[in-house]
Amino acid sequence: MESIKSKKITAVWIITILTLFVVSIVLGILMRLNQGGVIEQTPVAFYVNMTTHGLTMIGIWFVAGMMAVNFLLQRYVKTSHTVNILALVFTVVGVLMLWTSTFIGKFHAGWTFLYPLPFKIMWAKWATPVFYLALVVLVVGWLIWCLSLIAQILKKYSISQTFAWQHFKKNPKVETPPFILISMITLVGITTCLIAAVVLVALTAAEYFSKGAFVNDALLMKNLTYFFGHTIANEMLYLGLAVIYELFSEISGRPKWKTTWYVAIAWNFTLVFILTAFFHHLYMDFVQPEGLQIVGQLASYFASLPAAGVTVFSIFIAVYRTKINWSLPNLLFFIGTAGWVIGGLGAVIDATISNNVVLHNTLWVPAHFHTYNAMGNVLFSLGFFYWFATLDTEKIYSGKGTKLILSLLLIGGIGFLLAFYIAGADSIPRRYSNYPPELAAGIPLATMGAAFATIYLIGILIFFFNISKGCLKILSSPSS
Amino acid sequence: MFKNTFLTILIAGGCFLASGQEAPLSTGEEGNIYQKIYNAPLVTSTKQATSFEKLRKEKPLLLGLIFTRCSGVCNPFLLQLKENLQFAANNNSVNVVVLSFDPRDSITDMNSLAQRLDLENDLQWTFAVTDSILPLIQSVGFSPVWDSAKQQYDHDAFLVGINKDGYITKKLIGVRSANDLSLLISSVNNIFSPTYRLPGTNALFSCFNYDPTTGKNTPGLGLLFIALPAVVTVLLLILLSYFNAPKVG
Ligand code: HEM
Repeated sequence: MESIKSKKITAVWIITILTLFVVSIVLGILMRLNQGGVIEQTPVAFYVNMTTHGLTMIGIWFVAGMMAVNFLLQRYVKTSHTVNILALVFTVVGVLMLWTSTFIGKFHAGWTFLYPLPFKIMWAKWATPVFYLALVVLVVGWLIWCLSLIAQILKKYSISQTFAWQHFKKNPKVETPPFILISMITLVGITTCLIAAVVLVALTAAEYFSKGAFVNDALLMKNLTYFFGHTIANEMLYLGLAVIYELFSEISGRPKWKTTWYVAIAWNFTLVFILTAFFHHLYMDFVQPEGLQIVGQLASYFASLPAAGVTVFSIFIAVYRTKINWSLPNLLFFIGTAGWVIGGLGAVIDATISNNVVLHNTLWVPAHFHTYNAMGNVLFSLGFFYWFATLDTEKIYSGKGTKLILSLLLIGGIGFLLAFYIAGADSIPRRYSNYPPELAAGIPLATMGAAFATIYLIGILIFFFNISKGCLKILSSPSS
Repeated sequence: MFKNTFLTILIAGGCFLASGQEAPLSTGEEGNIYQKIYNAPLVTSTKQATSFEKLRKEKPLLLGLIFTRCSGVCNPFLLQLKENLQFAANNNSVNVVVLSFDPRDSITDMNSLAQRLDLENDLQWTFAVTDSILPLIQSVGFSPVWDSAKQQYDHDAFLVGINKDGYITKKLIGVRSANDLSLLISSVNNIFSPTYRLPGTNALFSCFNYDPTTGKNTPGLGLLFIALPAVVTVLLLILLSYFNAPKVG
């Protein structure tokens, strides 16, 4: 069972994540205001904000999923408290180093820091190595965390049981809980993409220190960058899904979900497809063999389909014509799943090669990934945060508060995303600090996006304020 | 006569001034790319007045800048261009404008040049002069220098590709091969041409190795690095499961 020690560190995680989230949303709103011409920032300030926003967001929602999985995993296996603390320290130090490189050193190569951009110094010379060091700190901390959780699972379940292979046959003797299956599939995927990051940083360092004696291959670096970046951004959603599988039925007063043959098959396939979907980021790279482009397209289709199909089906069955104890967490899970599916559809549209020719690098891209993040994965984690903060107490606030938070998140979130989608469909490119006259249509849409994002931010602030009471109570409780 | 001398001095002076300005004219092949060409009025061999805008709207253009009294590169340049054009891919998708940048040249001079090259009846070729040569050569980044001792311009063989929208998409400096001309023709037709980095001793881990003699790409060591993370993960899983024997089975 969860110890008080583990509750305390989880509360610290939640407060850290939400604080960083608020700052990152403000950076996002500043970007939209600048694109809308409401405020005037230099292009450097815009790209510093964009780089910081992108990396911080990916980082915090990744650790949000990890710490939730870590917390719930204690229902099945013992997890290491020391490693949990280590991951927290590495994350905070990594983020501070990252912010130093961007806010002070003005490093602004985007969250994808695509080679050779970081070598084209347009910022303080020290900012590039500090940025990469920040990456090393984060990746090493997370890799240790991941491997530690996998090792703990393997202490109780054999490798084939963790992947639920016994469920491929009828009447398996041992049941693998869905939470274990999904956590394992996701942790293995995360380990792989973190190792890709290690290779990427090692090759970058080799070029940096070789003083020209060694140069990297741009295609290899791009493949590795997206192997890491795309995959981690994708895997963090699956951490959120693991939490849903564990908590949705429990909170809704329904029987616990079971692993069936189709759940097992779907998730095993998902592992393979998620690890190969990143090839769709290289459609425009003509040297990449056509076979890999096709793998990219098919994997993009199939990566979302098995897991999405099974999850949506399970949730639909759970709520259809049944009496559900609706509360903020399961409503957040439910709406988050809808956001995940809608964003996923937007992604599949973009990952189709014929559409990508039109949508490539337009605001359609931030549109779809913000859908399954801001209105998908973030809501999964918020659901967990709320459930956690109210674990030992009666509900902190009434139905009225729930409605207010949900309305603000929904209205704000949908308006913010619509501004991205409409602009993307109108071929407004992404990553423009200001729109020239030819792209004037993007200007009012950016202002609209900023206004709705502010509504979303207010919803987050109210939510934060409410759950911080529960988190502070846990933190101030005696340790034994 | 006086007018021509005056214009010669003006253009030579213009080039001199331009080279001394803060933002010097970009003379390399990379300069002025994706900028619009100046829409100069043209007088062509049929003595009809036209302009770049009218001509480029019909078909993308290749613009060759020459002067008829040239004792240097202009003739070999045009002869080579004529020959290469026959062998270049998609050669019918463009028209060629040969324009004099020497204010002394008249349209009669240009007509006799066309005759010498046996191109006077070739509809793909237009020989022309303009009274707005200075803004035009500035817009393409061409800077001939007047050598008063030789009474000649010191200049490059200069071919500019202009697409139907009037943008300079590519330039070729020097007398070039049919293959280079094909690349120029592709670029004015907005057709993508792949380019490859040549293999060097400092690039150890390329995904593909390009052989410039055969034009073929073969798989390289770099591809292994893409598979490496998955291989290491599998090894780690085997190790972890070996050292953490399950307690239930
Ligand atoms: C209401 C909240 C948010 C706002 C206002 C916001 C705003 C923005 C804006 C304006 C951009 C730049 C768009 C462009 O390319 O022109 C951006 C990019 C991005 N956002 Fe957000 N965002 C929010 C939430 C999130 C969340 C929750 C995540 C991830 C979990 C996220 C991850 C990213 C990433 C990865 C980029 C790309 C950065 C780059 O291109 O380097 N954002 N966001």
